[in-house]
Amino acid sequence: MSAPLLTALSLLVSGCSGGEWLSRRSAGPVGVFNGNSRQEPALSGQGRFLASVVDRGGRATLLLQEQPSGRIVPLRHFQNRQPHSSPSLSWNGRYVAALVQQGNQRLALIEDRANGNLHRLPLPADRTAVRLSLSPEARQLAVQVAQAGQWRVQLFDLRSLLEPDLPGGLAVQGGGAQPSP
Amino acid sequence: MRSSVPNRAIAAAAIGLLLGGCLAPMPQPLAPLNSRLEAIGANRDPALSGRWLALISGRGGREQVMLLDLERQQPIDLPGLNRADAQPVSVSVDAAGERIALVRQLEGRTELVLYRRSVQSLQPIPMAPSGVPRQVQLQADGRQLAIQVSRGGIWQVDMVQIP
Repeated sequence: MSAPLLTALSLLVSGCSGGEWLSRRSAGPVGVFNGNSRQEPALSGQGRFLASVVDRGGRATLLLQEQPSGRIVPLRHFQNRQPHSSPSLSWNGRYVAALVQQGNQRLALIEDRANGNLHRLPLPADRTAVRLSLSPEARQLAVQVAQAGQWRVQLFDLRSLLEPDLPGGLAVQGGGAQPSP
Repeated sequence: MRSSVPNRAIAAAAIGLLLGGCLAPMPQPLAPLNSRLEAIGANRDPALSGRWLALISGRGGREQVMLLDLERQQPIDLPGLNRADAQPVSVSVDAAGERIALVRQLEGRTELVLYRRSVQSLQPIPMAPSGVPRQVQLQADGRQLAIQVSRGGIWQVDMVQIP
């Protein structure tokens, strides 16, 4: 069989297998963090930022990186509240939401990288937060909770709390400003 | 003494108003939507994007992917996405509500598929190099997937561009 025919057949087969032709890459190294294990990826609306959870000294730690450079973006409010889980980003990466540990409670936090402010989502004592999703425009937050042995999803309106982060807005540089008074 | 009760009530109300003014605004539960979600039953793995909420919902002992239009507060039909013999693992939707990425277990293996709602098509996204997908997030503009993949006992994150 001739080489061009083999190439054509190969292309046909890869097309049929659905997706071999897609451009792909690894999210890359996790910088100063230990090991290569990386979980729970979350992209900003246009993919400029990637949040994920990596192992840092045995503790699940939120890592925010610019893409594709991998530059680590510092976060102000998540330190010492491990384990972190379920990160979520707004369109331009202005808002970073994740679950943290505070005492014996899982707590949803949203950090505003534009002004350094921190927002907490208190939940009734009978519910444990398991997973969250921030809408890209930062208008709503969905929280999966465990309640009475069952998983439920609850929605929260953030419009009175956060400025919207809309497509085409400017990405926040660096680690964000000092918290506003 | 009795006349002091209304005064106390007024004072308590005034203090409440003052404190309320000083406290930061709090996220408010979206009561009508939460009631609707409550009525659906058990649900998990929420993914918000634009006016859409994708989640995995349990109905009649099995789970399926559900897409809710938050503006109309209505579930959206997803013909060809859910299968009785498939177990959804992770789901994500883009801001246009057009593309849905799904990790599911089917016939003993775990696979990633991309659903296009307008044409009701389902495209498998193979892992390369081979691995087992666990969690997926679709970028809000629908152009890239971030996938948590297990390879040799290590969790990695793959990024896949979507034309």
